[in-house]
Amino acid sequence: MAGHDLEAQEALARDFQPALEGPLVGEKKTSRAITEEYAKADPVYVAKTAALPQKFSHYRPILGDGNCGWRAAGFSYFETLLRLQNRTQLEEELARMTSLNNLLTTVGGFEEWLFEDMVTETTDLLRDLADLIPSSPQAAEDLLRQRFNNRATSDSIVYHLRLLASSWLKGNRTSYQDFIPDGLGVEGYTKDWIEPVNQEIDHLGMTLLIDILLKPIGFSVEIVYLDRSEGSQANSHIFRQEDSNGAPVNPGGPMIHLLYRPSHYDILYKEQPPMQIVDEVTRNPQVNRAFTRQISVHETPAMMGGFPQLDMETLLCIPGFGLSSPPQHHGFHTPQYSQRPMEQTFNSSPISASISPISPGASSTASSVAVPASFPAQPASQPSLTSPTLASPHSSFPAPTTQIPIHTNFPPQTRPSLSSNPSIASHLSHTSELSSPSSATSSFRPSKYEWEAAADWQEPVIFQTSTFKNSHYNTAHYNNPNFQPEEWTPESEEPPAPRKRSS
Amino acid sequence: MNYDMEDTQNSAPGILPSNQAVKLGAPRKGNDAQSTTKRLQTELMQLMTSPAPGVSAFPNSDGGLLSWTATIEGPEDTPYSGLTFKLSFAFPPNYPYAAPTVLFKTPIYHPNVDFSGRICLDILKDKWTAAYNIQTILLSLQSLLGEPNNASPLNGEAAELWDKSPEEFKKKVLGRHRVIDDE
Repeated sequence: MAGHDLEAQEALARDFQPALEGPLVGEKKTSRAITEEYAKADPVYVAKTAALPQKFSHYRPILGDGNCGWRAAGFSYFETLLRLQNRTQLEEELARMTSLNNLLTTVGGFEEWLFEDMVTETTDLLRDLADLIPSSPQAAEDLLRQRFNNRATSDSIVYHLRLLASSWLKGNRTSYQDFIPDGLGVEGYTKDWIEPVNQEIDHLGMTLLIDILLKPIGFSVEIVYLDRSEGSQANSHIFRQEDSNGAPVNPGGPMIHLLYRPSHYDILYKEQPPMQIVDEVTRNPQVNRAFTRQISVHETPAMMGGFPQLDMETLLCIPGFGLSSPPQHHGFHTPQYSQRPMEQTFNSSPISASISPISPGASSTASSVAVPASFPAQPASQPSLTSPTLASPHSSFPAPTTQIPIHTNFPPQTRPSLSSNPSIASHLSHTSELSSPSSATSSFRPSKYEWEAAADWQEPVIFQTSTFKNSHYNTAHYNNPNFQPEEWTPESEEPPAPRKRSS
Repeated sequence: MNYDMEDTQNSAPGILPSNQAVKLGAPRKGNDAQSTTKRLQTELMQLMTSPAPGVSAFPNSDGGLLSWTATIEGPEDTPYSGLTFKLSFAFPPNYPYAAPTVLFKTPIYHPNVDFSGRICLDILKDKWTAAYNIQTILLSLQSLLGEPNNASPLNGEAAELWDKSPEEFKKKVLGRHRVIDDE
């Protein structure tokens, strides 16, 4: 009978409880844990998870309670704001979230008394983070994890996100209605998929959330799909604001990485690469970027042409100031910012930046508004999205350990995907020289970008450090699931062999 | 003797974390209850300032806000017209992020309610959203009285009669209904 089924289901639900133990948002772990987890799984998983740590050094497990996708994206939103270490932006987000209450009432049709407690959790957190970030970024991070692991607070914030996504859909029916499954219609879809409290996020839900929460402030999201589809690497898709030609509007913006396994999301991180190339610099990435940008102006006045575009990116970081960003009418206008970042980008002196590269307090707004955005996400997104066009220049690249001179000799124009953004191109071509001040001993220090680019190659990269060579992450090691004995090919000796590419 | 010593020493590290876990868990629960209480107070205010016709609800006198009693008047032009039904609401500590348990206290003959008063309604189960509230539940139940979901009945006979014999159905409704005491 129906009653019986219900009881059986409830019993099942109870039995599943133990699997849901643990923190809502876990501690960051090395992504090799995922590889180990799948070591005995289907060979497709083994291959894909073996390749994962090459590209993403860490991951953060999220509790699979039906809210994981929402919670992962929400947590990443706050965490990325923290990474930018920009109090002003946190305050702008506070204002944007408050102003979005209008969307919830007028478009979403939700009553304010129903959601005000939820929104308060979001805005309180933004305010507290804004207060903490100038003095103690670590305390801010701790607070974020603590709030997201408090069930009441965490669920409130997650539900606020659901309401935002639902309202955003209701306000932009024509853009999304063709993606609504099963002919549910907008109302049916929001009632069945977005608003139920423990309903897993589906693809459209994630798209909506990214569109309302992350794209307007220039954050992009890469979702890595770990499934049983063919391939030696997990597929990934990047969601970001694009112009009518499909070019990213804010290519230097911060990027959030999520790992999708069927009906579950976790967070991935690229920082702390296995090769410790950019050790102390990763601590404060925006300064590094500010620094290199200053120099590139300094050294190559011709690159000044790239600046108008740069400043557009800057402005896109400001809520409500999107160029063609759909949510702008829901945001608030901050015209005074339209001038400031630009001036500061030009005015902040290269000297001050190079003297105190690590002090966040001293770095100008230019470094904290415009610049932070860019690291570590951007270099990764560029090559990975455009890898087909990159194929030819890339294939002549030698292995990373020996590539520096060649790399820097490439004029930016020869790399089609990067030429759309002169600043990045110039940035890339200069970084390997520029990173040398931070390592006084070596003048050939490989830049982070080279490492990232290497990570995007189809084949796992063979790092020529002895530690790596002897580890089972080396495909030439017999313990590697993708074991591939090294073969000597005489013709590849000089210059180093072009990398095999499967695509 | 030695073994006893060892036992207590060994157990000590195990005890400590569990103590901590309790400590960590306690404020969380307190927080839950706090925000739930706040939400329920707001709902009470809403119900009093903008009541909907035919439905009402109030917290039980036992002090806690987590259990309520509600009433629904049977809608006109339905077999339930003129009858009043009492319901109990039990709110979980993480309400509104979990649905309340709602039962008919007044015996009711309805395709989607069983003889213990349990209700089969999707919004009280997997379709529950935190944007629903006591009033929307009551209004949904009120409309369920006039439009039962006969595709998934808890009371198969009632589902059959609803379509086959409205007169017989009405007779059963009246036969089962009785006024229960206020508590």
